[in-house]
Amino acid sequence: MKLCEFLRPASLPAARDNLRELGPKGMALAGGTALHFMQDHTPVTAVDITHLGLSYIRPDGDFYRIGATTPLADIQRYRAPRWAMHEICRRIATHQIRNISTLGGNVCRVFPWADLPVVLLAMNARMVVYTGHDQELGADEYFKTQPAKRYLKGDLLREVKVPALRSHHGFGSVKVVRTAAAFSMVTIACVLELDGQNIKSARVAAGSAIPFPRRLPSVEAALTGKEARAGVFQEAAAQAGHDAPWRGREGMSTDYSRHLAEVSILDALERAASFARERT
Amino acid sequence: MTNPAAHFKQVNHSVTKVDAKQLALGKNSYVGDFVPSDALIVKMLWSPHPHARIKAIDVSKAEKMPGVKAVLWHGNVPRNIHCTAGQGFPEPSPYDTFIFDTKVRFVGDRVAAVAAETAEQAEAALARIHVEYELLPPVFSIDEAMADGAPVIHDEPEAHVPIPIPYEPKKNLVARVGCEAGDFEQGMKDADFTFDDTYETPYAQHCPIEPYTSLAHIDSAGRIIITTSTQVPFHCRRIVAQALGIPVQKIRVIKPRIGGGFGSKQEILLEDIVALFALRTGRPVFWQFTREENFRTGRTRHPIRVRLRTGVKKDGTITAIGMDCWNNTGAYGGHGLTVVSCCGSKVLPLYRCDNIHFLGLVYYTNLPVGGAYRGFGATQAFFAMESTIDKMAEAIGMDPLEFRRKNHIKTGEGSPVFAALGEGKEGTPMTVGSCALGECIEKGAAAIGWQNRTDWRTKTGRYRRGIGMACLMQGSSIPHIDMGGASIKINEDGSFNLLVGATDLGTGSDTVLAQIAAEELATTTDKMIVYSSDTDMTPFDVGAYASSTTYLSGEAARKAAADAKRQILKTGAEMLNLPVDQVVCQDAHVQTPDGSQKVSYGDIACYALYQKNQYQIIGTGSHITEKSPPPFAAHYAEIEVDTWTGLIKVLKYVSTIDCGTAINPALCEGQTEGGTLNGISYALTEQYLFQNGRMTNASFADYHIFSMRDKPPIQAILVPSYEDTGPFGAKSVSEICINGPAPVFANALYNATGARLYEFPFTPERVLKAIQAVKR
Repeated sequence: MKLCEFLRPASLPAARDNLRELGPKGMALAGGTALHFMQDHTPVTAVDITHLGLSYIRPDGDFYRIGATTPLADIQRYRAPRWAMHEICRRIATHQIRNISTLGGNVCRVFPWADLPVVLLAMNARMVVYTGHDQELGADEYFKTQPAKRYLKGDLLREVKVPALRSHHGFGSVKVVRTAAAFSMVTIACVLELDGQNIKSARVAAGSAIPFPRRLPSVEAALTGKEARAGVFQEAAAQAGHDAPWRGREGMSTDYSRHLAEVSILDALERAASFARERT
Repeated sequence: MTNPAAHFKQVNHSVTKVDAKQLALGKNSYVGDFVPSDALIVKMLWSPHPHARIKAIDVSKAEKMPGVKAVLWHGNVPRNIHCTAGQGFPEPSPYDTFIFDTKVRFVGDRVAAVAAETAEQAEAALARIHVEYELLPPVFSIDEAMADGAPVIHDEPEAHVPIPIPYEPKKNLVARVGCEAGDFEQGMKDADFTFDDTYETPYAQHCPIEPYTSLAHIDSAGRIIITTSTQVPFHCRRIVAQALGIPVQKIRVIKPRIGGGFGSKQEILLEDIVALFALRTGRPVFWQFTREENFRTGRTRHPIRVRLRTGVKKDGTITAIGMDCWNNTGAYGGHGLTVVSCCGSKVLPLYRCDNIHFLGLVYYTNLPVGGAYRGFGATQAFFAMESTIDKMAEAIGMDPLEFRRKNHIKTGEGSPVFAALGEGKEGTPMTVGSCALGECIEKGAAAIGWQNRTDWRTKTGRYRRGIGMACLMQGSSIPHIDMGGASIKINEDGSFNLLVGATDLGTGSDTVLAQIAAEELATTTDKMIVYSSDTDMTPFDVGAYASSTTYLSGEAARKAAADAKRQILKTGAEMLNLPVDQVVCQDAHVQTPDGSQKVSYGDIACYALYQKNQYQIIGTGSHITEKSPPPFAAHYAEIEVDTWTGLIKVLKYVSTIDCGTAINPALCEGQTEGGTLNGISYALTEQYLFQNGRMTNASFADYHIFSMRDKPPIQAILVPSYEDTGPFGAKSVSEICINGPAPVFANALYNATGARLYEFPFTPERVLKAIQAVKR
């Protein structure tokens, strides 16, 4: 994209109006880091949404509401009970990029290596999309396909509602990288709900080594109702091959990619179980 | 005996860099800071094919595009064959390059260039150039290049070598070099244990933060002024003159501050184009590579296959070392011969052995072009040598540290390799003067905790730790080839203008040379006004490469200062009415030894310039070296291996170095840490990935170099020695440190898991496979 003009609307409805009017020639702009990966030279008008009051993190009952233009650095720094989003945010790119890259930028157009969609899928987050009114979508539905399609007609993400982790719930994530600022080789996130020693429910999601972030239903099924122990985790992780088309990239073979995912699932599950036990 | 360096007042002190403030402020420092507003911007059409003949090219539509001022292609530029590598004259590399040719030889080769008012206009014009290619079968490996009937990459009749060395372009052979000492085959027969292993080392990019960048304009006298990010301003002037077919007199090359080079900017890749565009248009012309262009078209480290055959007796005597190297130089041959020569000359002398065989072969392929890169062949060969040293030690049941201590070269010893292998010609016989390698080994071992290391291969568990080591050497300049010059003149306030041809590319060499001159003149470094590398203004210097600047150019600066000092003493003595032999220079004064009578340098300058028998106190010096004293190093690392994933974590790295006198210890430590981190990155993560000859990961998002975020704890330990032939005892420091990490990690991995890798980078998958093979 080539930014040729710049609009700064005063409100979310005005921004939506601008974008609807511009059609494919308009582009919502917050952090702008995604532009680096959209290097065709199509001229577009940027619609600046950074001054619409969408940068916030607010506890609200069973959720934390995170505004769409909240920089990743703010999420990384935020601390509160039953909150775990900082863990993955501190591992995305560099400080400089986290200072400008936003939550919305990471989930409105999902690149294959994106980490946040993986975490939001595992956490069963809810996306609030402004379509003239607020429409709430669960992560499963939201990330079923490329979310960018949802925004072609000018709609805008208002906020993401991340469930607060309840007692007996544990969160674990693993991001495997070659260097600190590199894109992930594989990202795994999971939330386990324990009932005593057993797993009451599990949500496991993966990204980076597959074309698009997704949950791993076979892995989840192999966990649910079972005891939370290493052997079970190992058997569950071994199911990963059934759930996703693992692919080799950056010189890695497909086999290695799948193997790395399995080990990462195991590690993430161990962390989630440990997290949950500490909170029991 | 006290090291003389302990008494120096300027040298052996960490003074602040002379350009520190300028760089901190970020003003008017780099080429990009000097681009005038009316400069044309250059963009190049690069070959999308690894090997093709240009059947037809039509630039007419591009020439008519808005903003376009000129288009260059093979039909409208001089066809003068030359070599882009700046490394001496006549070059020890083939003349195999034209400004533009009718053939393209790698993805990223030049096809046509546009100069336009804006980058966008230039890019738009490139899209309108129509090229018809005849695709030719490509050559993607050494094996393919050597095969009978292989496609010939350089079939142009003009290709030749300017010095008498083997060159057979019809066989894709760029160079062959070798040497023998003693009886290698007999040495193998005399051994109790023999080894025959083949190692592979990969491509890598230098990744300077400032890409290749050049600016040219025509001055009022009609001369071409090239301001460029180069390590070799004088070679640049000569090569541009040769390529364009114009006299050297018509060209001035200015090197401002440089944002890193590491060898990559020892090549003339942009300057001919900006100069030619400036001549054609009369406008200033600016060209800066994108990062992608830096990867694809910039120079790289030569991938080299090393076959190492060695023999050792049970008592630890090395009976034979045979090294065969196959160097993939890519599409053009610059530095091909000299890099492969250094595989032997900078590595084989490290261990005493009477029976040596060395053969280096260099081949063209249709892949990116190799060039100079910190370490220069030694990096590749040390991976093989130091891995094998550990294998030999294990075979005879000796601690690898003890084995190295027993066999490494020491002060007063020589090697037949020094005399046999030079760079493009025979080498120079030499014995080692200063050598503190023994102390490096001791200090490094203590720092890493070598005494706690045992054979950890039988341990179980997912995460396994191992400690590895390697010993290293390099050189300091190239004897009888490299030359540096300097001049120094005094000003009325006792300050000095130090003009050097040496090239500070971020290394701090301006500061180091100022310290050397100040020490010789018995003044302080802050009195030095340093101006480096301008072909009109400064004396000649071959440039910043071959670990030469401190040792070679430093001695030139010292000689120039000594020359000026003689004049200062003479004038000072005259002012004091004393014979010259009764005065000394001390603390910026000429004085009697007891200090009872003295006159300041400022007063001496004013006297000489204004008062009596006026003359300019000015000293000049130039220097060539008779030997190339090696710096030595011992490297150690402790790593943790995840045996489930193959990921390696570096827990601690110890990098000891004997660089003689550390002229500026802080800068030496910086070079040591930086070079080591550079090597760690090369060993673990850096990788060129190809698809049909096209690099598929040409960006920092996909090509992984270590940054400060990834830096493991690195302990740099300077171990002083005193090299009598160097300025105030100095040797080189800049290259050697990159040679260590690959063999150190290979040895540590073996110590941890029993898995030995013969190829790097040590990607997790490669490591995991090796570990699984051991388990099987």
